[in-house]
Amino acid sequence: MALASGPARRALARPGRLGLGGCGAPRRGAYEWGVRSTRKPEPPPRDRVYEIPGLEPITYAGKMHFMPGLARPVFPPWDPGWTHPKFRRLPPIHEQPLYKDQACYVFHQRCRLLEGVKQALWLTKAKLIEGLPKKVLGLVEDPRNHIENQDERVLNVISHARLWHSTEDIPKRETYCPVIVDSLIQLCKSQILKHPSLAKRICAQNYRLSTTWNRESLLLQVRGSSGARLNAKDPLPPIASREEVEATKNHVLETFYPISPTIDLQECNVYDVEDDTGFREGYPYPYPHTLYFLETANLRPHRFQPDQLRAKMILFAFGNALAQARLLYGNDTKVLEQPVVVQSVGTDGRVFQFLVLQLNTTDLASNEGVKNLVWVDSDQLLYQHFWCLPVVKKKVVVKNEDILANTDKTSECPQLFEMRLVSSLQPTFPEGHCNSPGKRQEEPTREEKADAPTQSSILLCAGNKNCGQPGALHLVISLINSDPCSPNISGRAAEKRCPFNKTLSTYIVHKLQCIIITFFFPLLIQNQTTR
Amino acid sequence: MAAARYWRLVPRGPGLSLHTAAAAAVTAPEMIGPAVAAAPVARYPPIVASLKAKSKAARQRRVERWQAMVHAAESVDEKLRILTKMQFMKYVVYPQTFALNADRWYQGFTKTVFLSGLPPPPAEPAPAPAPALDLAALRAAACDCLLQEHFFLRRKGRPPLYREYETIGSPFLDQLVAALMGLLSAHNPALAAAALDCKRPVHFYWLRGEEIIPCGHRKGRVDALRYQINDKPNNQIRMSKQLPEFVPLDYSVPIEIPVMNCKPDKLPLFKRQYENTIFIGSKTADPYCYGHTQFHLLPDKFKRERLLKKNCADQIEVVFRANAIASLFAWTGAQAMYQGFWSEADVTRPFVSQGVVTDGKYFSFFCYQLNTLALTTQADKNNPRKNICWGTQNIDCYVKICLG
Repeated sequence: MALASGPARRALARPGRLGLGGCGAPRRGAYEWGVRSTRKPEPPPRDRVYEIPGLEPITYAGKMHFMPGLARPVFPPWDPGWTHPKFRRLPPIHEQPLYKDQACYVFHQRCRLLEGVKQALWLTKAKLIEGLPKKVLGLVEDPRNHIENQDERVLNVISHARLWHSTEDIPKRETYCPVIVDSLIQLCKSQILKHPSLAKRICAQNYRLSTTWNRESLLLQVRGSSGARLNAKDPLPPIASREEVEATKNHVLETFYPISPTIDLQECNVYDVEDDTGFREGYPYPYPHTLYFLETANLRPHRFQPDQLRAKMILFAFGNALAQARLLYGNDTKVLEQPVVVQSVGTDGRVFQFLVLQLNTTDLASNEGVKNLVWVDSDQLLYQHFWCLPVVKKKVVVKNEDILANTDKTSECPQLFEMRLVSSLQPTFPEGHCNSPGKRQEEPTREEKADAPTQSSILLCAGNKNCGQPGALHLVISLINSDPCSPNISGRAAEKRCPFNKTLSTYIVHKLQCIIITFFFPLLIQNQTTR
Repeated sequence: MAAARYWRLVPRGPGLSLHTAAAAAVTAPEMIGPAVAAAPVARYPPIVASLKAKSKAARQRRVERWQAMVHAAESVDEKLRILTKMQFMKYVVYPQTFALNADRWYQGFTKTVFLSGLPPPPAEPAPAPAPALDLAALRAAACDCLLQEHFFLRRKGRPPLYREYETIGSPFLDQLVAALMGLLSAHNPALAAAALDCKRPVHFYWLRGEEIIPCGHRKGRVDALRYQINDKPNNQIRMSKQLPEFVPLDYSVPIEIPVMNCKPDKLPLFKRQYENTIFIGSKTADPYCYGHTQFHLLPDKFKRERLLKKNCADQIEVVFRANAIASLFAWTGAQAMYQGFWSEADVTRPFVSQGVVTDGKYFSFFCYQLNTLALTTQADKNNPRKNICWGTQNIDCYVKICLG
């Protein structure tokens, strides 16, 4: 027992709590202790004099040195009078000024909702309508809203973003996604001569939003900054008529029992319920027009799935609309006479999601009554595939750098762009949806192909060789014969072809060939002898 | 090869060295040359210097062969590749530099004459009467951008240390450029169709001057000085049509370019060896290959208060000028190279671009006309052309922002 000290002694003293289930897993409060090596040693236990009431302990505090027989003095904790910002310790959660007993579920920009759009609709008490409203689509079809040389200019924009804007051979998504969005917005803004109201808008980055609302005894909050927001001087007019709004009373919100609607939201007890639109009073462009969400992470697991992105768009658009409504009409919960409309565009550089949200009511606590309306146009591809490098098959250039547009729906490309144009066109029209000309979408195949090359290119090479010999022999021969230029892959796979062309990779391939030969040679001999 | 064969036939006297024998051999056929040239077909292949010998003539022949390769390149990409593929130690020129009197040095590196004020207006009036410039609307837009970034937009936390100006200035400049482009597209329809880049790199690589290598295995030999600019303007506008020239291509400016009597290392300028790139902001395939305007934001390192505290009040203008000269030379030079011009194939039309340099409050406007790319010693021997840069003084955009 004397050998055990500190936590070991504590563990021995309370054997019942040693490990969860006895498997050696740390206890729940383990991380409260801190790392053992840096933990301060525990203070020695107090003398028994202090536990006896009525006794005044005589300590050696005045003597300024230890005296056996006298009690150890207990000093009040030292207050240095100032706090170094590096070593500032926050008070415990219960003592923080904003602590509240009721937990609040906060949605921030990195929340990925499990149930996606369904959960977002429940949280915002909204009804989903697939496809954009007719008013917006009407603006899309209107030939007056078309830009001259639209297809060519959009192709230029895509080529610029995917290939030209960087010195690298293949620009990464982190750079090409914002470039493509900015270029499309710039293209829409070029119509300012035809639509002078485009000048009454301004874009704001890094704004901070904060709104809170009650939903069936749950306190929900949208907080944070996410992407860019286009502000306008005039509000967007409501899209759905009064009758349609009244008709939503009959709609029943879809629940997803047994999953709680607060799943994937951050639960916290320290929060502020004040609404914040992100801008101060007197801002000349007070009305939110369109929000832009960019998924720019290079790795697919770091990007939001389309469903999660749509949910995020719904919630942030709702947050902006709610903050705006409360600013205009006060904090009372009521059905709005002038619904607030906010639009939203989300993209990862190729797939676009469009959204229009109409906030009809701020009475969100109950499940009955008027619901809010959400129009969603999901998974619009701007283009199907983009080859940054020429596709080479058997040392012959089969395909130059090119973009593959949607072959199925040839008219979607202009439409997608129209939507974007429309969304940015007139503030008084809900066109704000970014209808980017349907970018052809062949992305799914590209995504798959993109994954393939990350696996060993050697296997691909081997697979591509039309060699009749089975087994290891085939692999060895194809490896030896593998031509750097022959891999039969395209698109993003073509990017992965590069390893063969680079000297380091050829060295590695050569080394692997040598290793494989030495390993496989005995197998070959075995095979041949067994045959 | 024929020459070599011919040399072996010529008997070498005891006192004659190989070089003189070769010279004799070279001159001998030349005397016969006119007689032979009278016949329509030359009977002997041309006598040229060796290709691989360790001689000046051989080096000259190799250089000429390389230049012929560049001239014969079919595409601009190939030309740029041949010009930039060999990497050697080069000076890295930073447009935004704290060096004292950097603008005089940069004028020397780029053969630029600096003229204060703006260039003369074009002689012919505008073909069509443009709508009146709505200054009030432009001023209102600028005020809105300024106030949004400085006051109305609530940002999270404090900006990082020594980046306050950039955190506010960069989005302000973005908004301002976008707003002005929209409002001014009525006067200039090409602006509506222009491409706007945000923080895209601009690179340029060039050779200017020579030096004697002080140490190393090539000590004592003459070597060209190489420079590289890697710039990142905050915004730039690119167009598909070139801006018209301010002054004719061979306009002679009586002002002399400042000549510095020491090596560029004294600036201070440091040498590094890395990739030589020439880039205007997008690749050669882009149809928007001509530049219009660049917008530069000076970082906090060059803010006025800091320079005044360092007793460098006269360097405030220098910082703006150096930035403009270097950045605009790099941009116009890269544009010219994208069109296939290089130091041995000098520009046949001037390349013009504009620039605005600001630190958030003070703006300076510059115009640059690139008249010559022939800056190497060999090409610059009889080159009277100079590049010209016009620039204004610092103009403050606003006096004070009153909050509340």
